[in-house]
Amino acid sequence: MREAGVVIDSDGAPIFWHSPENRSVASLPDSRLLWDVLWEYRESVEGVAHSHPGGGIPGPSYEDVTTFAAVEAGLGRRLLWWIASSDAVVVLWWVGPERLAYAKVTLEEVPPWADELRRLSNNEERTDARADG
Amino acid sequence: MPEQMGENEARVNCTYRGTNGDLPDPVSFDATDAHVKAMVGEALRTGGIPGIPADPDADLADFVVDRFNATEQRPFALVQIRPKTPFGG
Repeated sequence: MREAGVVIDSDGAPIFWHSPENRSVASLPDSRLLWDVLWEYRESVEGVAHSHPGGGIPGPSYEDVTTFAAVEAGLGRRLLWWIASSDAVVVLWWVGPERLAYAKVTLEEVPPWADELRRLSNNEERTDARADG
Repeated sequence: MPEQMGENEARVNCTYRGTNGDLPDPVSFDATDAHVKAMVGEALRTGGIPGIPADPDADLADFVVDRFNATEQRPFALVQIRPKTPFGG
């Protein structure tokens, strides 16, 4: 099991599946390519989801929230940040006023991309790919 | 190579608050990340990057520095500042 990610557009559809070569069970590495995708789709991106292998209600790490804040500073807009475990999905968003003040709720309805994100997280595929269509 | 750019110098490009611009002056391609971020941070705070409005609170602590050698299409080295993107850890 390894962490994986997906960039989601404002219609809730995947834009980019992120499972880079050097991901691990506990982290996704810094990625120039992921930033390039976020910048390219800066007008239409809604947020980014990533997986936490294992079960239970996931929470963000310090690395997670500092990445949330940095990406939002670069794009000049706020995003939604989902984290999916094997049995729960939470979403976080900035509530301020502190730079790293993000609220979190557990979703009752699982987003349609969650199963594919979990599948990517559960296998050894190591590739980044734009979503079809 | 742009005018007034030395052989070991690079253009500095920054993406911040949905905008993108170049520092007016080049930096040494070998400058440390800390030096580049300090220089760009100061320029962001004072409005020193054409195309990017001044932000007195600009903080690049969670940004990273990418370096690109000159190419046939771009005959000068490029240093880019962008947000970090790792998760987990």
